[in-house]
Amino acid sequence: MAAPADGNGKDPAVTAAVVVLWLLLALFVVYPLAMLFARMLTDHGTFTFAGIATVLTDRHQIRAFWNSLWLGLLVGVIGTAFGFLFAFTAARGKLPRRVLGILDASVLLPLVSPPFTTAIAMIFSFGPRGLITYDLLGMKGVTVYGLTSTLFSEVLTYFPIAYLTLRPILAAIDSNIEGMALSLGASRWRVFRTVTLPLAVPGLANAFLLLFAASLADFATPLILAGNNFPVLPTQAYLQITGMFDLRGGAALSFVLLVPALAVFLLQRYWVSRRFYVTITGKGAGQTPFDSVSAGARTVLVGACVAVALVIVYFYALLLYASLVVALGANHAFTLQHYRVIFTEGLKAIRDTLIIAGLAMPLGGLYGILLGYLVTKKTFFGRRTMELVSMVNYALPGTIVGIAYLIAFNDPPLELTGTALIIVACYIFRYGPTGIRATVALLQQIDRSLEEASQGLGAGSGTTFRRITLPLILPAFFAGLGVVFIRSMTAISATIFLVSISWTLITVKILENITELSLGPAAAFSVLVVAIVFVVIAAIGRLLRVFRAPGAMPMTSLLGG
Amino acid sequence: MIQTPRWLARAARAAAGCSLAAIALAGAASAFAADTVNVYSIWPENWARPMFEEFEKATGVKVNFVRFSSGEALARVIAEKNNPRVDVLFGGPVETFAAGIAEGVFEAYKPPAFAKLPARFRQADGQWVAIADDPLVFMTNSKFLKENNLKPPASWSDLLAPPYKNMLQMADARTSGTAVTRIFSILEVNGRDENKAFDYMKKLRPNVQLYTKSGGGGTLPVGLGQAGGGIFFIVDALDTKAKGYDVVISFPKEGIGTAAEGIALLKGAKNPELGRKLIDWATSPAMQGQFAKYKINFVPAHPDVALEASLAEVLKGAKIFPIDADYAGANRKRVVERWIAEVLNP
Repeated sequence: MAAPADGNGKDPAVTAAVVVLWLLLALFVVYPLAMLFARMLTDHGTFTFAGIATVLTDRHQIRAFWNSLWLGLLVGVIGTAFGFLFAFTAARGKLPRRVLGILDASVLLPLVSPPFTTAIAMIFSFGPRGLITYDLLGMKGVTVYGLTSTLFSEVLTYFPIAYLTLRPILAAIDSNIEGMALSLGASRWRVFRTVTLPLAVPGLANAFLLLFAASLADFATPLILAGNNFPVLPTQAYLQITGMFDLRGGAALSFVLLVPALAVFLLQRYWVSRRFYVTITGKGAGQTPFDSVSAGARTVLVGACVAVALVIVYFYALLLYASLVVALGANHAFTLQHYRVIFTEGLKAIRDTLIIAGLAMPLGGLYGILLGYLVTKKTFFGRRTMELVSMVNYALPGTIVGIAYLIAFNDPPLELTGTALIIVACYIFRYGPTGIRATVALLQQIDRSLEEASQGLGAGSGTTFRRITLPLILPAFFAGLGVVFIRSMTAISATIFLVSISWTLITVKILENITELSLGPAAAFSVLVVAIVFVVIAAIGRLLRVFRAPGAMPMTSLLGG
Repeated sequence: MIQTPRWLARAARAAAGCSLAAIALAGAASAFAADTVNVYSIWPENWARPMFEEFEKATGVKVNFVRFSSGEALARVIAEKNNPRVDVLFGGPVETFAAGIAEGVFEAYKPPAFAKLPARFRQADGQWVAIADDPLVFMTNSKFLKENNLKPPASWSDLLAPPYKNMLQMADARTSGTAVTRIFSILEVNGRDENKAFDYMKKLRPNVQLYTKSGGGGTLPVGLGQAGGGIFFIVDALDTKAKGYDVVISFPKEGIGTAAEGIALLKGAKNPELGRKLIDWATSPAMQGQFAKYKINFVPAHPDVALEASLAEVLKGAKIFPIDADYAGANRKRVVERWIAEVLNP
């Protein structure tokens, strides 16, 4: 008798894969965090709480901590509201397909661009001489730096996550139920309040937590927009390390950030995600054609969505414009000079970024399906632990991961700083988990009997995986690929600590250009990144269609810093 | 069920194999060819790049560089002390270099130009040598001045005037050498009386809209009018003007500091000979005579290079004093920490 499909680890291929994965996780997830922890609690070899005590008692850092939480809370609430508005309009507004497509594309822009693109546009639009505040509204003495702008910019950047989380949930709520309530005499508003909204609550909670985490991890937006009166933790940790070269202080600051980040992650994963209500009516998709939204309300909803989309489009149009004029605000003559600059002087950064993204993409995709497959389909010692550990780098703000890698891999024998490998590894273990989650979700839908049949016919687990399971989980593989690629092109919070003389990244260049006087090249770089990412997403979308992906690509998991 | 072509599975395997091989290569590729010198540049790329290209033209040695602001560059150099990734630290105020001496990161080297340089342009042992001089200036937005009926600020106390409230941008001392030079200028005009200097900075604080990460970070906002003015190095200020922004440059009558820009060889450099070659070239008229050609408005450090006429015009009548590198280096850490505690986060 052949071993059952959920073999108990005696299969040599499985055992080998498990051992290799554990080694990698130990090296690139557990070890850096342990080193971070050790650095925080030691001073030249002696154990001390002084490092963390200094941080925890510094009035200013305490303020930064509360600022971070407050900002995350606001971004969570407002972003979820925006996301719900869009999801509800998309699910119930009966919009023509094309209009919906345009809305979708504009809303997705912030998700696929470098994190500070809206921040740059904000700097130009608001402030004492902002295009909007001064030229349009004639306001004077407005300041662009602080909570309001940071909040505004982060909401615009992250609310698409809420939209993508809520849309399938709202679409899954059977509108027949709403129809029944309506025919029983309830008003549309009452139906919305007592039927639709309660069914969406778990989705709302989930969206809130995702946004909260995204804001907590965001380092680039506050660096540009928060100013001096609204310090937040990720930025403080960055300045502590790069400016003061206080690794211990930076490590301690990161650790303070770790507590709320982990709390949110665990809440989201083990509480909210288990509370999704399913409305099963016995019949399939046969929905009665009826309007759960009145014509007037529909106009308001669509109007609001279009307004938000227009703001986003305006920001990106401004960015494109800035990349095509000599000097925005001084000389608006058309020029391609900035593109010439990025393709000559900036070519190394473009090449490095593409090489790193190109390496991280297949490896991250493989890592995702392999780990996802093992933890779903095989039983072995420490299976649940492995799944949890694999999510750690994903759940933590990038600043922590970057600092941990910097500390852990700076000295022999594991001297990786200055190589491309450290950046590639950072991306694989930070963004690969998206592929893991997609694989797990997909595998749970596949009947086990398929694999049992294969093994019953004498195929080993390696062959079964390759010939039966792998083709079935290819969509998850491509989803994982896509996310790792997008993030490799756009992320900065972790990797800003890892760039070196030999390997630099476009995002780091953009930040450098913004802080110098070179706005044109910064804008041109941003436009380039958005263009590349759109092309790659489109290609992956095509591949996904070829393999008839069940369900949409889990775009929600694009989140991260 | 989906029928996946076998070639695809094979392709996936091949891709994985290639990636692994490429990763191994990528790790190895960080070691560079023998005719390349590795540099951390504190000068922004648009100035450093033409200089390094000229150097390559003159000597055939390629410069592989990455740009960091002075605080970041110093932090990296100290972090990599036991295993330096670069050979030369290029540009940046010499007080940054003075702080580096305290950490023992440099290798003393006296280039041929050493003997010709005035004392303030060289560290006595040759731990660093100056390649340029860079005075601070006040830079204000013309339209802002006109709207508020202000004259260009001609005294440190002018910046305390109410119209400047929340309208100034200047660099953050945690990351920027510009900021450190500014703080030491304020100390100097107050006779190194720290309490008096900090009183002034605390009074100035409400007028500061933003402390920027890098020294030139505020130039664009001032150019656009998003900020009314600020304190910058003259190179950054003249560059803003050259880009077409309507800004005014002025000097305080009490005087303002100038920072020599340095270059230094790192201890344990992998290519010390090439590093010395770059230092020889950068400290000589060979490089400094080219500032004007690329519109880089540094004041040359080498006495044989004449000051470019338009730059001389801007500097005419300005009271400029050098920042004492030893005094600044010895007190930098403490002063910056006091600045963070008392000025940045009151």
